[in-house]
Amino acid sequence: MFKDYNHTGFFDEMFEDGQPRAHYAPILERLSSIPKAEFERRRAASDLTFRNQGITFTVYGDSQGTERTFPFDPVPRIIPATEWAHLERGLTQRVLALNAFLRDVYGEQAILRDNVIPRELVLSCSNFRREVFNLKLPLGIFTHIVGSDLVRNERGEYLVLEDNLRTPSGVSYVLANRTALTRTLPGLFEGMNVRPVQHYTTVLLEVLRSLSQRDNPVVVVLTPGMYNSAYFEHAFLAQQMGVELVEGRDLFVADGRVWMRTTIGRAQVDVIYRRVDDDFLDPVEFQTESALGVPGLLEVYRQGRVALANAVGAGVADDKAVYAYVPKMIEYYLGEKPILGNVPTMLGWDKSDLEMMLSKPAELVFKAVGEAGGYGMLVGPASTQAEIKSYLAQVRANPRNYIAQPVIPLSRHPTYYPDSGKMEACHVDLRPYILCGEKVTIIPGGLTRVALKRGSLVVNSSQGGGSKDTWVLGETGQSRGLEDTEQSQTQGGI
Amino acid sequence: MLSRVAENLFWIARYIERAESTSRLLDVNYYATLEGGSLVQEQWLPLLTITGGVKAFRAQNPKADADAKSVPFWLAFDLYNPSSIRSNLTQARENARALRDRISSEMWECINKAYHELCFDTDGVMANDALHEYCNRVRETSHLFFGIALSTLLRDEGWQFLRLGQLIERADNLLRILQVRYQQTGTSVVAEALENHRWMALLKTVSAYEAYRKRYHTRLEPQNIAEFLLLDSTFPRSVIYAVEGVRDSLKKLPNATKIQHETNWLAARLEHSQVADMLDPEALEKLLEDVNNIGAMVQSTYFHLDA
Repeated sequence: MFKDYNHTGFFDEMFEDGQPRAHYAPILERLSSIPKAEFERRRAASDLTFRNQGITFTVYGDSQGTERTFPFDPVPRIIPATEWAHLERGLTQRVLALNAFLRDVYGEQAILRDNVIPRELVLSCSNFRREVFNLKLPLGIFTHIVGSDLVRNERGEYLVLEDNLRTPSGVSYVLANRTALTRTLPGLFEGMNVRPVQHYTTVLLEVLRSLSQRDNPVVVVLTPGMYNSAYFEHAFLAQQMGVELVEGRDLFVADGRVWMRTTIGRAQVDVIYRRVDDDFLDPVEFQTESALGVPGLLEVYRQGRVALANAVGAGVADDKAVYAYVPKMIEYYLGEKPILGNVPTMLGWDKSDLEMMLSKPAELVFKAVGEAGGYGMLVGPASTQAEIKSYLAQVRANPRNYIAQPVIPLSRHPTYYPDSGKMEACHVDLRPYILCGEKVTIIPGGLTRVALKRGSLVVNSSQGGGSKDTWVLGETGQSRGLEDTEQSQTQGGI
Repeated sequence: MLSRVAENLFWIARYIERAESTSRLLDVNYYATLEGGSLVQEQWLPLLTITGGVKAFRAQNPKADADAKSVPFWLAFDLYNPSSIRSNLTQARENARALRDRISSEMWECINKAYHELCFDTDGVMANDALHEYCNRVRETSHLFFGIALSTLLRDEGWQFLRLGQLIERADNLLRILQVRYQQTGTSVVAEALENHRWMALLKTVSAYEAYRKRYHTRLEPQNIAEFLLLDSTFPRSVIYAVEGVRDSLKKLPNATKIQHETNWLAARLEHSQVADMLDPEALEKLLEDVNNIGAMVQSTYFHLDA
């Protein structure tokens, strides 16, 4: 299957100068020893398992309205222990700075006063929420669940492409992919010392519980409902944490608290892991026509009688224009050099940047600042003149709303294509999931997304991406022994 | 009802329940040991201990280590192991043949189909990494069998013997697992994630993970887990649920005064127990003895009458 594999032209995760990298060598050998027909049989079986388990997402605007499975590629992506330690340090530093920024920008605004970040840029963010100004939050944390997107450039350096600080999704696939791979190709794991990931939901629940002062706080997951594209994940997380999955209509505000409607009357809710955007959270304060939210929720929140994760207003720090200033935030708040770099970014907001953006659009990737999920993007080199022209018209009309970045030659990874029956090189990224409570916990690995459309650089699930199991290798340790007892009974003998 | 028929019903339930229990044990342990390398490399020996086959395994495999190849083979396929899944299904089918006029034809077909699918040509299962599917089929067979029984069997004496067999076997299997798992605790300090991994595996072995999460909104605390598995009467795989179920079934059977006395006493003790007092090896051993004593009394009272 690896015959004719092209590892040149980009940084390849598995090969270096035609030879497998040391941490990939064992699995390359094992994969190569599986006959193609057998490999294909197992891959097909794992696809079926995803469908049977209902591990699906919905694509908006798809006329068929079908639920799709997120294609799973059985060739795992492997990160050696030292490389992961570096990422862990870098991501921890980054989320600490981002939370410091959020506390500051909704408080003293020292960073704006000191002109480290232009005040106008921050205050003009569509996700800046005046409603939470001067709010004191439990543990002082705004963004408890973070999913930063990392990419590797042609030299294999990890760069942060964007920070997802509102309601990052995809973690359920990290857990599902691991289960799927252990079942499909258990032999790959032998002796590799792959670090487990399934403790994510335990830690998530701990973090959510730590946001309440009450002894046995009631935690819920708030979903927009079963037609939301990430509904499977909402249900999965609620089930794995053993908490209620609620919709806006299940909650109400009375007597200064949030309650859920139950068969035995109202029950107080203390912590809401909301998978509903700020805009839809409270029709009294935000979008008045929203049926997804809970009227009056924000007032209770401001009184500190309910906690929200992530906090309202966190989106200001993952605005794609504000993103450009994260390295400066790290220096400003922590007095440290950033461990992980950013992708160079031009801001439509800045006159000279804008000129550059408009002059060579075919070489750039454009993004709308407040969007996520690969929506509102233009990949210059892959677009027609007409597409570029109409996109630029939008940019000119509202420059603040756009940024542009050079095309990063994302690293590639061998990926199996059922149609050719071969391994082909596909661009990948990595979304680690970071939990911030009393301490910062990062689940080893994260979601490796693959751009399955041949040659494509866009990895988002909504744009035809797939995913892989992601392994972080651990150090080796020792095992321990056990003792013996006696025989069980069978029929006939007493 | 004929003693022989009653005994067959009692044992068909035990064999199928045991096959399911072994399949869960095997499935969860096999896949849990893939991750984490040597730190969670659960030795395979404890599985032999739980299923009570250490001596027989050694006798049959004098040279082999108890490892990821020999133990799964022994537990799933080896006919020299009377407790292997294959042996259990084979014996369950033997009992079903003897009961063809008693059980519903759907029940017979379920077990007969499973026998033909799961008890022959098993050599390729391990080689093709198909252990998970195999275990899954065993579990489905058990669910299907008891599900059909639930909706087709008359609620007569026969039904009570089927229930007794299922519940006694369930309590026995769970207690054996707890005995071994709670011996292991405190033997070494492992990282939080790995410790979590192990307790998760224990819960999944008795299909209790999701239910436990709904009950306890804390991290995976060994003591809470034990409390849930031993003393939560709303969880259908807990020991107390099994004992209470046995008590209810005995009410419908004749000549049950003595067994009822023992069962009521055990149920009452469980209902008033604190989990902290139950976790030392002797207490668990005593509990296991009490459960098996009830099983033995069922046999001597109903199946093995002197002429």
